[in-house]
Amino acid sequence: MAYLVLARKWRPQNFTDLIGQEHVSQTLANAIRSGRVHHAFLFTGARGVGKTSAARILAKALNCEAGLSDQPCGTCASCMEITASHGLDVIEIDGASNTGVDDVRELRENIRYLPNRSRFKIFIIDEVHMLSTNAFNALLKTLEEPPEHAKFIFATTEPHKIPITILSRCQRFDFRKIPTSRVAGRLREIADAEKLTISDRSLSLIARQGEGSMRDALSTLDQVIAFSGDEVEDDAVQTLLGMVDRRLLLDTVEAVLQRDSRRALDAVRRIDQLGLALKQFTQDLLEMFRGMVICKVVEDPAEMLDLVGDELKGLKTLAEEASLEDLQRVVTLLLKTQSELVNSNYPLLTLEMSLVRLANLSPSQNLARLISHIESLEKRLGETAPPPRKMPSAQPRPAQETPPPKKPEAPVAVKTANKGWQGLVEQVRQSRPMLGSVLEHGRPLKLELPTLEIGYPNGSFMISQLQEQQITQDLEALATAYFGQPVKLLVSGIDSSQQSAPPSLVETRQAKETDRMRRLREDAVGHPALKSVQEIFNGTIKKVIPIDKGFV
Amino acid sequence: MTFDQILGHEHQKEILRRGLVNGRIAHAYLFSGPDGIGKRLMAMALARAIVCLEQRGCGHCQACRKIDHQNHPDLHILEPDGSSIKIEQVRAFQRDLNLKPLEASRKICMIEQAETMTAGAANALLKTLEEPRGDTLLILLTAQPNRLLETIRSRCQPLPFTRHPNSRIQAELEKQLGIDATESHVLAALSEGSFKKAFGKDRELYLEQRRDLLKTLTGLSSGSILPILDFAEQLAADKTILIDILEIFQAFFRDVLMTLEGRGDEELVNLDLKHKVHRVAAHENVASILDKLDALMTVRRQLDRNVNRQLAMEVLLLKLAA
Repeated sequence: MAYLVLARKWRPQNFTDLIGQEHVSQTLANAIRSGRVHHAFLFTGARGVGKTSAARILAKALNCEAGLSDQPCGTCASCMEITASHGLDVIEIDGASNTGVDDVRELRENIRYLPNRSRFKIFIIDEVHMLSTNAFNALLKTLEEPPEHAKFIFATTEPHKIPITILSRCQRFDFRKIPTSRVAGRLREIADAEKLTISDRSLSLIARQGEGSMRDALSTLDQVIAFSGDEVEDDAVQTLLGMVDRRLLLDTVEAVLQRDSRRALDAVRRIDQLGLALKQFTQDLLEMFRGMVICKVVEDPAEMLDLVGDELKGLKTLAEEASLEDLQRVVTLLLKTQSELVNSNYPLLTLEMSLVRLANLSPSQNLARLISHIESLEKRLGETAPPPRKMPSAQPRPAQETPPPKKPEAPVAVKTANKGWQGLVEQVRQSRPMLGSVLEHGRPLKLELPTLEIGYPNGSFMISQLQEQQITQDLEALATAYFGQPVKLLVSGIDSSQQSAPPSLVETRQAKETDRMRRLREDAVGHPALKSVQEIFNGTIKKVIPIDKGFV
Repeated sequence: MTFDQILGHEHQKEILRRGLVNGRIAHAYLFSGPDGIGKRLMAMALARAIVCLEQRGCGHCQACRKIDHQNHPDLHILEPDGSSIKIEQVRAFQRDLNLKPLEASRKICMIEQAETMTAGAANALLKTLEEPRGDTLLILLTAQPNRLLETIRSRCQPLPFTRHPNSRIQAELEKQLGIDATESHVLAALSEGSFKKAFGKDRELYLEQRRDLLKTLTGLSSGSILPILDFAEQLAADKTILIDILEIFQAFFRDVLMTLEGRGDEELVNLDLKHKVHRVAAHENVASILDKLDALMTVRRQLDRNVNRQLAMEVLLLKLAA
């Protein structure tokens, strides 16, 4: 037999070995003890947390010759067979290779026959998320009511790809990522059993590298052993994991905080020369800054950071120099860099750019201080500037807003109250755009507070709208707020040909527009260049288009 | 090719050698690292060391020679069929793996460009990769390990390869091609630590065309739009070398950035165009150069997604000329 990698050699063989998944093993053990074993299980979770192992252990527990128990003996023929993965009654199917509906049909054929010699016939389908939709559907009936002797165990990393009809027929167990300390503890057990000399620090480094996956950690441990034999030095682990020397990291952090881009670039150059992975460097750098952010916001960061003694103290001193805003910005930028590095075809440049950018960040202003600054400015401005529009303004409007003098029919009375009316319409339009546009079409017949009379052409849609009680009330409330005194609203119909009524805002605007067009046309026609063009080509003027509207 | 004949990668060689000596060769390796730095050579050397009749990868015995000619019955190589490795390929390959090795002590399978496996193919491989039957050795080669499934990565023993230092490539270029120090410096720097690139067909592009391209690029000004459009058309015309040209631009602006940051000339890529770099640096600032580099990165990402090349080039050049 060739060399077995640690992850295979140390595959958990009973529930107690299955670390970090107590919630699963306890539930299963209780179910077995009380004889309430479901017929279909779904194990989900990240890679290398024990799904397949748990499935095999459960199979053993169910089929152990020493009797149904949560502690499979591991010595009977059935247990041995399952460990060696050639059990007759435990059928392990690679869901990713047997994805079709035909594979499921074959399985359904098989399931009818009684187990050869064990209690149950157990189907373990690993990577079940790769089954086709048809395959899943073909499985539904069997899965709902399988024969008494059949048990299903599904394992997958991607539960979201499984149809809900399957999910609802299974008992689902979510496997958690294993905490670093637990992984390190298990690594220590294995290292001792394998007669390895390795420090706890190295083991926890390896465990952290695994990111919650036991198999990843064991693969790394394998790699470490392959590199340095049975005596593992801390340095060797660091080099192998591509860990960046802490001094170099600290140097870079300091350079960034002191905005010394030259030193930061020096660090990159050194990393590059050492042949270290830039991605790992960015990761480490990010972790440093994360640590500093945590130091800033958490009173006792030791636990959250997994750091002790000098390292923690160093981080704290560094954190004191920088502001929280700055640190957060650095972290954000580094996170972006990290994702860019993955796809970058010139990673060195990506990292260099990022560091130059970090070192050139202008120091951030304290946000709270900025806000208070603005507030005080506002206050000072408020003292000199006139109070915001609030009082009823009967004063004449500013010159450019008066209707053009070409409008002799506009009564003088409205002109003085115009600001009031126009202001009111604008005010209403801000809070109730629909109502505002209705008002724009209305003619302010009378604006003598407390009475406001608005006229609309007889039989128009707007009259009926404004006569609704709710709208009238709303409008009165708005007008009251605007004029600062109670307002009584009257809506009356007018004859559309009646010229005495003041024009509505829309009409004023239209009049202004046609007036402008007329003047433009006059200007254009009077232009000497145009005249000579007309003469030369014997042309006529069809249309005059102002170039500020809609053109160019 | 034995381990000794492979340049560099001492670390990785050592790991594999020790594994061979202690009988601790894992069943699945993931060789990751940039293209053209010798991953495949290393995998071949490992294969030879395993099948060699003299147990050391001698290179003379029948088994070694068979490996060299890739007709050893126990060496399986899985390569992308077209643009990806498909599930049928993986299934056929799994059938082969179920058989006992014919001549050697174990079957050796190499999966090249493993990142091109389709989702189905990758998933179909998972169970095999976790617990292959018998004495199988799987070697996955990839330049982009991050594009592999996490579940695949976790099942392999990782063996990351780093790029060659420029000095090593430069020395090798000078030795084998007999070019002068400046040219070899430029080539080595542009090759990104890859021997394949440095010795590849792009030499003429990197050395001769580069000067013309950069001359045109620095000659552009935001005021005159026609030359920009012309140049964009010229760039977009040839899809195959466009990426390399963009790399040249990136290297150039990186040089400018380094000059602005006050780095020494020895860090420059375009050593022969030192004066041009300094001239450009004189009327740029760090922020504007960073913007331009960003634009270049963006355009490279866009090109991966099949954008309109000419349009992309026009936008890029407008930004670069600004």
